[in-house]
Amino acid sequence: MDYDKLKIKLEILSDAAKYDASCASGTAGKRKASAQDKKGIGSLTGGTGICHSFTPDGRCISLLKILMTNNCIYDCHYCINRISSDIRRARFTVQEVVDLTLNFYKRNYIEGLFLSSGIIKSPDYTMESMVRIAKSLRLDHGFKGYIHLKTIPNASPELQAEAGLYADRLSINVEMPTEISLAKYAPEKDQGNIHSSMNKLRDKITEHKLDRSHSGRKLPRFSPGGQSTQMIIGADPSDDKIILQRSVQLYNDQKLRRVYYSAFSPIPDASEVLPLKPAPLIREHRLYQADWLLRFYDFQLDEILQGTKDNMLELHHDPKMAWALNNRHVFPLDLNAADKSMLLRVPGLGVTSVNKILSIRRYGSLSWHDLVKMRLPLDKLKPFICVRDYKPPLHLLDTAHLSEMMRKPEQIELFG
Amino acid sequence: MHSISIKTIPGIDEWREHARLLLANNIPPDHIIWQGDDNAQMNLLASDMPVFSVDKQINFKISAQILDMINTALCHNGPCRFDLCYRLLWRLKHENKNLLALKTDNDVLAFQKLVKAVRRDAYKITAFLRFREVEKDGYPYFIAWYEPEFFSLELKLDFFKTRFKNMRWSILTPYRAAHWNGENLFLEDNPDPALYPKDDKIEQYWLTYYASIFNPARPKKNAMMSSMPKKYWKNMPESILINNLLKNSQAQAKAMIARDQASRQKSDEI
Repeated sequence: MDYDKLKIKLEILSDAAKYDASCASGTAGKRKASAQDKKGIGSLTGGTGICHSFTPDGRCISLLKILMTNNCIYDCHYCINRISSDIRRARFTVQEVVDLTLNFYKRNYIEGLFLSSGIIKSPDYTMESMVRIAKSLRLDHGFKGYIHLKTIPNASPELQAEAGLYADRLSINVEMPTEISLAKYAPEKDQGNIHSSMNKLRDKITEHKLDRSHSGRKLPRFSPGGQSTQMIIGADPSDDKIILQRSVQLYNDQKLRRVYYSAFSPIPDASEVLPLKPAPLIREHRLYQADWLLRFYDFQLDEILQGTKDNMLELHHDPKMAWALNNRHVFPLDLNAADKSMLLRVPGLGVTSVNKILSIRRYGSLSWHDLVKMRLPLDKLKPFICVRDYKPPLHLLDTAHLSEMMRKPEQIELFG
Repeated sequence: MHSISIKTIPGIDEWREHARLLLANNIPPDHIIWQGDDNAQMNLLASDMPVFSVDKQINFKISAQILDMINTALCHNGPCRFDLCYRLLWRLKHENKNLLALKTDNDVLAFQKLVKAVRRDAYKITAFLRFREVEKDGYPYFIAWYEPEFFSLELKLDFFKTRFKNMRWSILTPYRAAHWNGENLFLEDNPDPALYPKDDKIEQYWLTYYASIFNPARPKKNAMMSSMPKKYWKNMPESILINNLLKNSQAQAKAMIARDQASRQKSDEI
């Protein structure tokens, strides 16, 4: 009884899902059961989802992240579930996934479901079962929690359209940064197909965001949290420039909400075209930082890549520090005078501290002591700023070893 | 000196009544000694609460946002919270209505620190609280025992009422319980911890999930500890797995790579 069948399935199908980097539930607006609703369960609170637990790998558990099945007819080399992999296989029924999700949700373990799947029989067959799970949660049980479906790129547009009616977010993995790598590592997948699926979803999402259709009727919600994707880093030889160019394109053309980077991590029974060693986690971390600078700090890609060697981000410095070290002529910056866009470029200042600085400036001016009280990373800031009663020593910015001085081992934080 | 003792927990309404009167009668903060239930030591120097004229109009309003922050700060268990919040109110009225923009003012810093700590504690209730299911009168009933660091349960009752509207549940904390029957909420002081069920039929699946979703190839204990410090572990059934998962992780990852290496060498030989 201890190790019943469902438990073994859960073990296999969550183990198989853990290589997926995305874990957070995105912002998909607010939702709750109405006053008359005597059956519905759950809510979306508006912000990003709650992290209900953290595993010892530092990742947040927000969703029940599982595969519907790890059986697969494809043979993608980086994937633990590929057909040629010698692993235990399992498959959930539609009802089992629905029950697990509801039971976990009612105990406050999760915000919702993140469902992905290996491909069984055909892309359409697989996608149809996944849609049935989401549909049953929404229609049979009035589930108001979060649902993320990883759609199957080769499934029919009709099924993808139906998925969007029940899911808060849809995603399709681009998997590899380049078309050549995709062809080599995922022979059954095709970049053209992935792009055209993403474009169709993008158009649907935009169309449903408009309040009314042509006839004046309100359109139902369609994947209100948009779509996201994942790229595997370090399994193929693509450099950071290629990877980030790809991300910029995905953000601009396909209007993705999020690109996740997943440092290649060795999988059991690995295919021989893969490296044996994991890609350095710090590389993944630097890519997330660069991604953040592009999206929230108004950096351009060529600024981030300026001065890099072999188009790889520096591992010793975060990309903002690397940029500052390459552009010492714009510093030191007067924190009492600089405009917001420049404040955001100072190493050690994030969005929150910049807003605090602007708030203080409205009623007075900043002194060194204010920076201390705000608990800012002073060692990092020191060469780059001036305030009322502090100016960096003239030679500091010109020191040849400033770069080494700034190399202090930093605590790695996850943006995931 | 006036001495005021707040008898309820966390004492938001009581404090507000007093603060309103004190402000209307122009009593400066350094003339008051506030005492909470959690530090009920009598101050011998203090006289009793004087009789104030209650019908004095206060020509002073604060924004909903500041009021919300004050209510939040008052849910802290620090003995200075009543004093600090009144001083803030006083300074907002007499010194600068934009006081909170002065992010490095000592009172503002101390106040923000309380607000932040309580908000985090309240958020963690919504995150880390775990229900267990029992049967009551033939229907499922869900019960949780949770030990918040401060008095922050009240701040999140709307969250639970909304999310679990059609379930019947009780949340028990050391100082107060909330019972929801699907329509109404009842509060009860000092509930019996023994009401918390000993087990739950689904919990073992949750533990299975927790252990399986962990990636042993990339343990990051510090990242986990900063988001989920040990003080919360007592509320979470999965925490009993953590030490073993960490202990076994490196061995597991190494074994996996070694196995692959060996099998690749073998196929080279053939």
